Amino acid sequence: MPENNTSEKDRDNVIVDVKNLNFYYGSYHLLKNINLYFKKNSVCTLLGPSGCGKSTFLRTLNRMNDYTEGSKLTGEVLINGKNIYDRSVDVVELRRDIGMVFQNPNPFPKSIFDNVAFGLKIHGIKDKDFIVERVEKCLKYSALYDQVKDKLNKPALSLSGGQQQRLCIARAIATNPSILLMDEPTAYLDPISTSVILDLINSFKKYYTVIVASHNIQQAGRISDYSGFFLDGELIEFSEAGSFFTRPKDKRTEDFITSRY
Amino acid sequence: MFTLKYKDDLFRFILSVFVLSVISIFLIAVAIILYYSYPAIMKYGISFLWVKEWNPPKEIFGALTFIAGTLAVTFIALIFAIPLSFGIGIFLQEYCPHFLRGIFTVIIEILAGIPSVIFGVWGVLVVVPWLRTTVEPFFDKHFSYIPFLRVSENIGYGILAASIVVMFMILPIIASITKDSLASVPKIAKDGALAMGATQLDVIKDVSLPYALNGIYGGIVLGFGRAVGETIAVVLLIGNQAIIPKSLFSVGYTISSLLANTFTFAVINPIYASAEVELALILLLISLIVNIIGRNILDRVIGGKFNRSQFGGG
Repeated sequence: MPENNTSEKDRDNVIVDVKNLNFYYGSYHLLKNINLYFKKNSVCTLLGPSGCGKSTFLRTLNRMNDYTEGSKLTGEVLINGKNIYDRSVDVVELRRDIGMVFQNPNPFPKSIFDNVAFGLKIHGIKDKDFIVERVEKCLKYSALYDQVKDKLNKPALSLSGGQQQRLCIARAIATNPSILLMDEPTAYLDPISTSVILDLINSFKKYYTVIVASHNIQQAGRISDYSGFFLDGELIEFSEAGSFFTRPKDKRTEDFITSRY
Repeated sequence: MFTLKYKDDLFRFILSVFVLSVISIFLIAVAIILYYSYPAIMKYGISFLWVKEWNPPKEIFGALTFIAGTLAVTFIALIFAIPLSFGIGIFLQEYCPHFLRGIFTVIIEILAGIPSVIFGVWGVLVVVPWLRTTVEPFFDKHFSYIPFLRVSENIGYGILAASIVVMFMILPIIASITKDSLASVPKIAKDGALAMGATQLDVIKDVSLPYALNGIYGGIVLGFGRAVGETIAVVLLIGNQAIIPKSLFSVGYTISSLLANTFTFAVINPIYASAEVELALILLLISLIVNIIGRNILDRVIGGKFNRSQFGGG
């Protein structure tokens, strides 16, 4: 059992609660009995080397693994107290409250405006003024507005990689989700774009619970309230960022933080 | 000793020979068609295109009947085939259970490779009787006031019979290319939409289809090419009478079926042969024009918005 450093009494404001989560793909046991919880309006980073299961774990939180043929999941993921793997849960409905940003910027083959408006439109919002206002606001939040305000009708794919990633962030927050999942959002970006996005993440915790998968210790240190360390599908350690980065309990965490992997 | 650079150059040279030979075969074919159709072009001029009469003994030749028949069969077949094959392609790629997808895909690919005469025979044995005994009486009874649907001779053969069978021939082509194009849509693009709470239909409509449109269009062009030039099945089904079809159920004649039926004796009379070769030239031009117009429309619809390399090749 991995040790959970956050005190068990301190369970107010828990928004995501993961209990005994196991995930299998064919004969591979990709996630091994994961137990942890995330608190409202915090930034949590999940660290670990490539292939440790942190992306898979992230994708269990909005059931994106449902499409992986031959996969199996046991355990519970409670979001606001409700198990999202319960039969009564509508996956489409669930994802509307959970934004996701991917490793590769993946704007839709549409205009910049339509990308951000996409979520609103598929959620059935027809009020044009509201959509325009919301799109503008989200582009401002994601520090992109000044660069694109004169070309909102231009194709999103004409933007640079860093801009595309910020567009994807704007798109993810447009529907005002309560949780934002980010899967190595800066992996392919240059240092300046990376820095902009890290600042964004820091500012986001006012509004959202942000869960970030990353393999970059420095970046994680800059933004985390809580941090966890995954290794070979196991959650080795999960605790407040302060103690996680300075006094890790597990030797393996320490090795990772001091870059011995 | 070959230097490495020299090897590369040699390989490039060999490849260019291959490509050039394809281009030259095409140009030679066009040149021969032009050469043999020249006497007819000179004699009948541009009016060849809109003269309706086709009377070899009197040496009066006009192409309109055959152009009309060809376009009618081709477009009716496409109108039937496009929505159906979209449906098949989308189902196979996005909705079909995994274990069935392979089987269906193989069946469709086999269907695409069946010799057309088999389709023709099937048409004569199945489609024509069905039209004669069921469809035509129905339309005759209920829709005879619509000129386009009037049944003049209740024989089963005609434009509709040919179009239905041609539809089945182009269906697998368009369907399998639709499926392949959808399969090549980057997963990450679809994931982006799914993660936003898009339904599968939203994803297909807003992400997959726009991405796949270019490829799907290629499939339609291929289907068009097969439909416009389809010969044997059409010869068996269209009725082979040189009249301009005025209704879905009327008989007709296409350029390719006329050539198949009559070219062997047309060669005896040079001007007759020349007129038929000019028909072949028109057939070629129709495919070229449709292809160019289609490309242009497509460029306007999706122009500049697509750049798959932005996804890092994913």
